[in-house]
Amino acid sequence: MRCRPIRLLLYSACLVLSLQARAQLEPTVTGNFEGYTFGRLTARIETVTGYRFYYDPADFDSLSIEMTLNRATVRQILDELFQNTDFHYSIDSGKRIFITRHVTIVTTLPARFGGPVSAPGSKGQAVFATDDEQPEKARLKQMLAENRVYDIGARTATVGQGKATVAGYVKDDNTGEPIVGATLFADGSATSVATDQFGYYSLTLPKGRHLIRLTDAGMRDTRRQIVLYSDGRLNIDMQEAVTTLRAAIVSAEKTSNTKSVQMGVNRLNIRTIRQVPVVFGEADVLKVVLTLPGVTSVGEASNGINVRGGSTDQNLTLFDGATIYNPTHLFGFFSSFNPDVVKGIELYKSAIPEKFGGRLSSVLDISMPDGNTKKWSGVAGIGPLTSKLSIEGPIQKDRTTLVAAVRTTYSDWLLNSLPASSAYNNSSANFYDANLRITHRIDEKNTLNIMGYYSADRFRLGNDTTYKYTNASTNLKWKHIFNNRSNALFTAGIDRYQYNISDSRDSTNGFRLGFQIGQTYFRSEFTFAPDNKNQVSYGLSAVYYKLHPGTYSPEGEKSLIVDSTLPAEQGLESAIYLGDQYSVNNRLTISGGLRYSVFNYLGPHDVYNYAPGLPRELNTVIDTAFYSGGKIIKTWSAPEVRISARYAVSENGSIKASYNTLEQYIHMLSNTVSVSPTDIWKLSDAHIRPQHGRQVSFGYYRNFLSNKVETSVELYYKWIDNYLDYKSGANLLLNPHIETDVLETKGKAYGVELLLRKTEGKFNGWLSYTWSRTLLRQDDPLAGQLISNGNWYPASFDKPHNLNFIANYRFSHRYSMSVNMVYSTGRPITLPLAVFDLDGSPGLYYSQRNQYRIPDYFRTDASFIIDGNNRLTQKLHNFWTVGVYNLTGRKNPYSVYFIQENGTIKGYQLSIFGTQIPFITYTIRF
Amino acid sequence: MKHRNYHILLIRRLRHSWAALALVSAILLAACRQAYAPPAITNPNHYLVVDGFINIGANTVTTFKLTRTRNLGDSTVQGIPELGARVAIVGAGGGSWPLSEIIGTGRYASDPLTLDPTRKYSIAIVAFNGEVYNSDPVPCLVTPPIDSIFWRQPFDLNIYAGTHDPTGNTRYYRYTYNETWEHDAQLMTVWGVANGRIYAQDSTNQTQQCWTTDTSASILLASSAAESSAVIDSFPLLTVPNGDARVTKVYSILVHQYALTLDAYNYWQIIAKTSQDVGTLFDVQPTQLTGNIRCTSDPSLPAIGFITATTEQQQRILIRESSFTNWQHNQPAYGCDTTSIAPGYPDPFVYNYPDTNYAPWYFISGGPLVLASSVCLNCLLLGGTNVRPPFMP
Repeated sequence: MRCRPIRLLLYSACLVLSLQARAQLEPTVTGNFEGYTFGRLTARIETVTGYRFYYDPADFDSLSIEMTLNRATVRQILDELFQNTDFHYSIDSGKRIFITRHVTIVTTLPARFGGPVSAPGSKGQAVFATDDEQPEKARLKQMLAENRVYDIGARTATVGQGKATVAGYVKDDNTGEPIVGATLFADGSATSVATDQFGYYSLTLPKGRHLIRLTDAGMRDTRRQIVLYSDGRLNIDMQEAVTTLRAAIVSAEKTSNTKSVQMGVNRLNIRTIRQVPVVFGEADVLKVVLTLPGVTSVGEASNGINVRGGSTDQNLTLFDGATIYNPTHLFGFFSSFNPDVVKGIELYKSAIPEKFGGRLSSVLDISMPDGNTKKWSGVAGIGPLTSKLSIEGPIQKDRTTLVAAVRTTYSDWLLNSLPASSAYNNSSANFYDANLRITHRIDEKNTLNIMGYYSADRFRLGNDTTYKYTNASTNLKWKHIFNNRSNALFTAGIDRYQYNISDSRDSTNGFRLGFQIGQTYFRSEFTFAPDNKNQVSYGLSAVYYKLHPGTYSPEGEKSLIVDSTLPAEQGLESAIYLGDQYSVNNRLTISGGLRYSVFNYLGPHDVYNYAPGLPRELNTVIDTAFYSGGKIIKTWSAPEVRISARYAVSENGSIKASYNTLEQYIHMLSNTVSVSPTDIWKLSDAHIRPQHGRQVSFGYYRNFLSNKVETSVELYYKWIDNYLDYKSGANLLLNPHIETDVLETKGKAYGVELLLRKTEGKFNGWLSYTWSRTLLRQDDPLAGQLISNGNWYPASFDKPHNLNFIANYRFSHRYSMSVNMVYSTGRPITLPLAVFDLDGSPGLYYSQRNQYRIPDYFRTDASFIIDGNNRLTQKLHNFWTVGVYNLTGRKNPYSVYFIQENGTIKGYQLSIFGTQIPFITYTIRF
Repeated sequence: MKHRNYHILLIRRLRHSWAALALVSAILLAACRQAYAPPAITNPNHYLVVDGFINIGANTVTTFKLTRTRNLGDSTVQGIPELGARVAIVGAGGGSWPLSEIIGTGRYASDPLTLDPTRKYSIAIVAFNGEVYNSDPVPCLVTPPIDSIFWRQPFDLNIYAGTHDPTGNTRYYRYTYNETWEHDAQLMTVWGVANGRIYAQDSTNQTQQCWTTDTSASILLASSAAESSAVIDSFPLLTVPNGDARVTKVYSILVHQYALTLDAYNYWQIIAKTSQDVGTLFDVQPTQLTGNIRCTSDPSLPAIGFITATTEQQQRILIRESSFTNWQHNQPAYGCDTTSIAPGYPDPFVYNYPDTNYAPWYFISGGPLVLASSVCLNCLLLGGTNVRPPFMP
């Protein structure tokens, strides 16, 4: 059956064949009827079709039409309009249409403001195919809510003058889960606000009658009619949009990229994330982020992402408010976020809101759901590498909800099955993670959240060295609403990241090397909306860091290793911020913020003092000063500026520009010489200055085909000061004076990001291309060494060309297919080129820093998703994902390393998944 | 009740999926390790290495050793000597002093020269293949004399150098040393074996006292840059662990001292960190060498080495084990086995015992010939020379 799309705002349906055939002969109507009254619509139809309407205008005076028609017949229009209402129509041979109200129906739509409403009975005129996916009850509920007029505030006989504020939560009707980032438009698009991370919104309007339209990606658009008497509350339920074959849902006013003031921000919800095929069919937050323009990773497997020419440590990864230092599992192939407890992600690349700070490049904000407030539900999945189980539901109905998830791997078999010749058959790898989140609503104005997160990894490559790392976080959030216009969020928590590397062979060299970062933080965030034109945010935050930069101890009885422990480092990072988003007019929005951050490097610690004007080396140490506990050794501080603006050049196009400055007080250095890189984190101290970044960016956004196709071009230029790179021959591990082995470099990064994205329809997906460069320079001879003769040299993550293509095609309700293609330039590498003998001892001659590149990266994945069934009413949903990772079998290098073998030095590239990897996973939702 | 039903269903479904999973796991997944050898590495990377300094001392010989680097996969132990090159010292204001090739060694030596230390000098090299290399002109830096070489032995033996520059110009130094130690045979004998006969050794072919000489293997750099005066008061040259076999009787060390400019010091510092060890967790990060020798005929070709113009200072000290406290005497790793055989008859000096691990120790009059492990009787088997160096007592 071929279906012609009929685009309707309210819901979509498909006509049966007979009707379709008839539709070919009858006169049809095409056009956009947003905001039409019934009278105006009928007048238009009369003109076009020659029909005449007979009805009582009083019945329709509160009905507002929201329709976009494409060659719809009169019957189709009327069926659509009156579906589930108590209206009837009949058409006689004289092309006369009589509209009547069914006598058995007690109530009708309100004739006046705020009339009492009760549920209309079902009337079911069976011209439309029964739509299983939209249960009648839910549709009725939505319909009812949309057509009802709500009184906000204390009802008075006459509507007063001035303005009032309506506020409340927007939630998923099905699960009770708050909807983040939903946009509310009042009266056309004159005024718009978005819901915050709790689904909370606040909208200030002139007193009187308003139409509020709500849109959110993946949710069915809805609207509410209100009469605003004074400040009041309106909670709104939205329903999930069930993607169907029959018609595309098109929103006239969606939360489009052209409307949002923020630039360089990507929002994805978990539905989008799930559509991207990834290794072993495991939906993966980071892998999807990597397909966005401007985001790359150093290799197939690396601890994180590089955003706009930033290093991996310049990203602040927040998981429900907790800072995650290593967001990956299993050589970086999985992100450490269980997709079943991810609600959505926001990636800020340029206009970073002033409430965030402490990292130069980006903020990746990953949110967790509150949990289903209405019933218990869950997901269980099983794949070749991982199994997972998550449940959510109300502990106390409508007050306390729980989300819990565990995920574990049994991947040892995979590595054990490697051919013996690969030298990795004696390897092992496994990981697990667990999440817990409890939301408790104390009352209308106070909500508490407690979250706990733990992830652990253990892997061994070859026979000797075992790597282990864990992330552990917990925090408590208290959201308090003062009144409709202001609210606050207080967060307190602890994060810990630690790793250790051990060689447990029973030898004299058996060792264990440990590293740990701990941080305790408090954040308070206030928002205040004096009117719709201004959205003020202010707050303060403090993070106390404690780093254990290295403990080295013997492992095994024969070990002759001597214990050595580097002293802990302490630091306190505090910040205060104030910002405002101001809508100058409908077209121009400006957002400005100021953040002032202060970092104290604290005792107890020894500080080497170096001779002034000389490079920092052991030879130039003058003396050592000891600072006792709590003493401030060094204070760094700086103001940070965040400015961005949007100007709508047309209905479908906008330009955005932003300027940001940021400070970073914690730095990472990667020890890249070994097979598996080891990272060292370091606080700014008496010698190591904070990194300072400035970025300007400019973007043009244009939507086509009723916002179905989004395109954007963004340009950016970044200046980075005091980026740490290592000196020639640096020793990074267990170095008590790391300032002698690092250099502060200047960096510049620039690039162009192109995105073409089709958001809806049977065929959707995106194509992104980024051209970017990141160059560093060390030209200060006083630092001891010039790198590349003081010229600009590429950073180790400089990858000029990045192309990502993701496409999903839905054949039917049950079958869909996804393809994912990734190409990027290989990352730079410093190669050993030759061996020389000087003064009797051999040495390695290396190329210039990062002069060469490892082979380019190219990978194609495909997956096929089979839904077991697709009835919303069914209790259990299951689906299969089958696919192939790395369809072309290209041997992309995981790492390139050199080792000494039989007196010569050999280079190797290790590809972990250097062949086609078929996978199959089974997921069940209950 | 409802929940329990779901649960049962779930388990059944999971079992079902395990069956499907078994099919998949039959397909092997492979991590593979491939040789990584891009052209940058496999190209013949035979870059010129220049080792030496311009000696500006009075009536001194300047020696340079020219070698070529070898590829990573090349197992040649030492550098490939650059033969047939033309090398000369060039004065900045004119003048050229050629170095003549010591045939077959890659070494090039000047005549004894007395160069004016107020001028600048450079090195000009035309390689055998015609590549032209020139160093930057470098100023002369006279090495101050070594003040003292001294040792301390709290437990291990530490040897230090001290120097100072009264003019305050020289702040950076490089040291090399030659250490010589006496190591004697474990067992005394007068007998040697040659051509199947036992003979009595004399001082020219004795195997009882041996002396081994070794040169420093690490690059030793000292700086007084952070000091208020240009004084190096105790620069640690080396540590000999307590009980080390190098100090069983007499130990001698000859220390060479060379002044460096700051640039040369920085260069040598990088060389010092250059490691041939790769692939382990504790390796240093890659180094980058930028010397003061350039290929002028092809600027893309690197050259390794840093030219300085200086003088050499040296000083030798002797250290006797008898002056140590609590120095351990470790048994050697090898044991001394003995056996006895019937002496040759009728000529007792005929010796044809097949096991060369044994050698004649002593005769028992009227009895057998006692043999002992060769390594215990002949110190030359552990290296060195049996000719007493003139400086050794």
